[in-house]
Amino acid sequence: MKYLAISVTAAAALFSSAALADGETIAVFTKNQTNPYFQAVRVGTETAAKTLAVKVIQYIPTKPDSIPEQLSQVEDVIVKKPSAIIFIPVDYKALVPAVEKINAAGIPVTNITDRSAGGNFVAFVGADDYSIGLSVAHRLLKAMGGKGNVVILEGVKGSLTSTNRVRGFNDALKEYPNVKLLASQPGNFQRLNALQVMENVMQSFPSIDGVLAANDPMAVGAIEALEAANRKALVVGINGSKEAVELIKSGKLLASGDFNGFIQGCVGTEIAVRNLRKQATPKEVMLKPIVIDQSNSAPYEVPVEQRPCPTLEQIVSN
Amino acid sequence: MNARDLSLASLPIVRVPGVAIVLVVLCMVFALTSPGFATPANIANILTQSTILLLLALPMTLMIMTEGLDLSIGAVLTFSSIVLAVTVVATGSPTLAFLAALAVGLCFGFGNGVLIAAFDIPPFITTLGTLGIAQGLSLLVTDGQSVVGIPRSIEQIYSGTLAGIPLPIIMGALAYAVTHVLLYHTRFGTYVFALGGNREALRVAGISVRGMLIRVYLFGGFMAGVAALLMTARLNSAHPTAGIGMEFDAIAAVAVGGTSFERGNGWLLGTLLGVIAVGVLRNGLNLLAVPSSAQVACIGALVIVALFIDGLRSER
Amino acid sequence: MSTDAPTAVRSHFALSRDVMQAFYRLLAVALLCAVLAMLSDVFLTANNILNVLRQTALLFLMASGLTLVILTAGLDLSIGANVALSACLAASVIKITGSPLLGVATGIGCGAMIGLANGMLVTALRIPSFIATYGMMWMLTGVTYYYMAGETIHGFPPGFRQLGSGYLLGVPMPVYVMVLFLLIGGLFAQRTIWGQQIYAIGANQVAARLSGVPVERRLVLVYAVSGAMAGLASLIILARINSAQGDIGEDLTLPAVAAVLVGGTSLFGGSGTVAGTLIGALILTLVLNGMNLLQINSSWQPLVTGVIVLLAVWIDTRTRRIGE
Repeated sequence: MKYLAISVTAAAALFSSAALADGETIAVFTKNQTNPYFQAVRVGTETAAKTLAVKVIQYIPTKPDSIPEQLSQVEDVIVKKPSAIIFIPVDYKALVPAVEKINAAGIPVTNITDRSAGGNFVAFVGADDYSIGLSVAHRLLKAMGGKGNVVILEGVKGSLTSTNRVRGFNDALKEYPNVKLLASQPGNFQRLNALQVMENVMQSFPSIDGVLAANDPMAVGAIEALEAANRKALVVGINGSKEAVELIKSGKLLASGDFNGFIQGCVGTEIAVRNLRKQATPKEVMLKPIVIDQSNSAPYEVPVEQRPCPTLEQIVSN
Repeated sequence: MNARDLSLASLPIVRVPGVAIVLVVLCMVFALTSPGFATPANIANILTQSTILLLLALPMTLMIMTEGLDLSIGAVLTFSSIVLAVTVVATGSPTLAFLAALAVGLCFGFGNGVLIAAFDIPPFITTLGTLGIAQGLSLLVTDGQSVVGIPRSIEQIYSGTLAGIPLPIIMGALAYAVTHVLLYHTRFGTYVFALGGNREALRVAGISVRGMLIRVYLFGGFMAGVAALLMTARLNSAHPTAGIGMEFDAIAAVAVGGTSFERGNGWLLGTLLGVIAVGVLRNGLNLLAVPSSAQVACIGALVIVALFIDGLRSER
Repeated sequence: MSTDAPTAVRSHFALSRDVMQAFYRLLAVALLCAVLAMLSDVFLTANNILNVLRQTALLFLMASGLTLVILTAGLDLSIGANVALSACLAASVIKITGSPLLGVATGIGCGAMIGLANGMLVTALRIPSFIATYGMMWMLTGVTYYYMAGETIHGFPPGFRQLGSGYLLGVPMPVYVMVLFLLIGGLFAQRTIWGQQIYAIGANQVAARLSGVPVERRLVLVYAVSGAMAGLASLIILARINSAQGDIGEDLTLPAVAAVLVGGTSLFGGSGTVAGTLIGALILTLVLNGMNLLQINSSWQPLVTGVIVLLAVWIDTRTRRIGE
């Protein structure tokens, strides 16, 4: 017990002294500690914070994707009154009361990645899941020569990200009448789930030519399942993660849609700070849908920690 | 061992259990290190946040005293909340919706009770099964989506105040008072103590053990229904994952509060302190901006340290 | 938990009851297979059967160690978190040293150490196993999150990958591992003195202590074994998915507990078998496989699994009563 008390006090001293430092403090809310996408967002906010001379504090639910816990964290943070908040809601509808509480406390909040269904924001920074799904599916269907059989691996049922990406997949499929959709099953954005779903789906269908996965980990799961069964199919994913880029280089993954958490973190932070410093800010920044394949993967090989943040002008003028 | 436990349980003031020590230490540390912690607004914030967990932990105390538990309570809360939201959106009547949510809670509570008492299926397995059923129903009804469009009158239940005190705190206090009276001042309560410690004596006295067990789980279902109202008001929506894992939080709070898994040693005030200790820890760590991975580890440490102190005491 | 359980003596009568229980459960598996074979024409193909067995192997490995814990009337809620930390550490070791052997040693060693810690909490500190392992789950998860910092470790040597995705004589490697541990676990539990002592502890801890069973040491052993099996399972997962991420152990604990319970092991301790757990794991895997093959909306999965857990255990209590 004494040990715990001492360590808590020590930790407290450490963090409270840091929190009292001068300059603006920005509280950043992400969904979980395990998905590399949100780590890229956090690195983006921290990289931008360094150049802008502000301090960011990360708040992540201890239980991954917990709605009540994110709401509690927002309530706790309001007590601390940070200068600004950057917010990715765990659920775009269920966290609206959290945004309303932030609004009521008068803290400016910038929304990134998942567009909240309500509340007032300084700006929204995101990428269009639908058009990324659409373009990466186009890339696959073209490579398949416009014919064959495909399988879709969906994300978590009901999540905005999964719904929109899968809608993009399906709309692309409509343009290729000779491509047959064999199955569309959720792999919950997780590797092991996707691997087992893929194994089971392969039993029903002797010929699968393409796999559309709603994120990179599921694409990797599908690749592992295919390799283990000694079968070949073209696979695409979404996120442009480090792992995906390496697999693209080695030819195992055809392409990955660039849903760039790092840039969203950078731009979100820059907008939040500009707003605090009474500079002009755009109301909305949507990143262009980019498909990463062997032709353009080189810049993505740099680890996110070493990448510089693009400026707002660079992103908006693109 | 038994005789000593009983004498300690009968004199709750004499025993200074692990949870009280932990709570006092946590409050002192946070009050000293975080300027925002010991303010009336933040204390109200902590208590309000703790209400939903308290509503689940109170009946869980009774279940654990009867050598049972309810793993389905978080999923039942979720499903009740979804039924509440769907009903209020469809009919526009908050009263009807609340009654529907209570009915769902009571149905699951009754089902759990019957399976445990009449079919002799152990509580852990029964409620693991009904957890799956409630979770599956939640997903099927909503297809994974949030249910929105709740009228403001329901949201008021979470955000409103009475004489300056937030309504959830009043509801939590009321629920605690009711459970306290039930447990310590009614025959039902006496039977609950006996269900864990001395089931045979109940049978000899001609009391229906089955009937009593069913009532315990019905009470759990009822509280899950009430908690569903608070959860829906809090989120202003219902979501099929909102209550996932809360059953384990509730069980941990009960255990931290000193209720033993063996032989009907229940302590309701301990459960209240346990719930508040968890709330204080999470709030304090957030105020100090402790990294989330350290927060996760701290919650585990809290559970083990509190139980460890209790273990030291019982060895004396 | 309960002290009025039958005594530790495992008579011929008790054994024959176990045989009956196993028979009923195999009947359930056969029934399930018959239904699935009628509904889906690919179900009974050799490929799909091997596929089901490979998926069963993973669940069984975690559940087999857990079976021993539950036989002593305990519980281990930390196995999912244990799998995550063991997998991440083993992955780092393989990446850094390039040696799969060191990685395997790390995974199993880490799992066993965590199990040992659980055993110490339960015996030396006398914390109920449910709470001790629940606290342990949070602490392990915290360490894993801190260590991984949201990153992924991926790409292991082909030799190591064989453990998860390789074949020998046309049968997937994990299936051999499963059979091996089914034999070891079964022989250990049924045919050794230590195994019998574990049953005795579960049936009546006080009586076991009085009859000279070193209860504390056996309990520590049981938790360490459960931890080591989680470590082993983490290696199979690593080898199968070729990468490690902090969320690798999420949603693994309760299915393992369900497999043990559907397999007929009683939570009150003292009765159940490792072979039963294999059948339990097989039933749960078959259900998921069938739902995937029939392309049933995945929202039905928790509901169907819940009903099956209830049915299995209810039939179990019924047949047990008839046996008595």
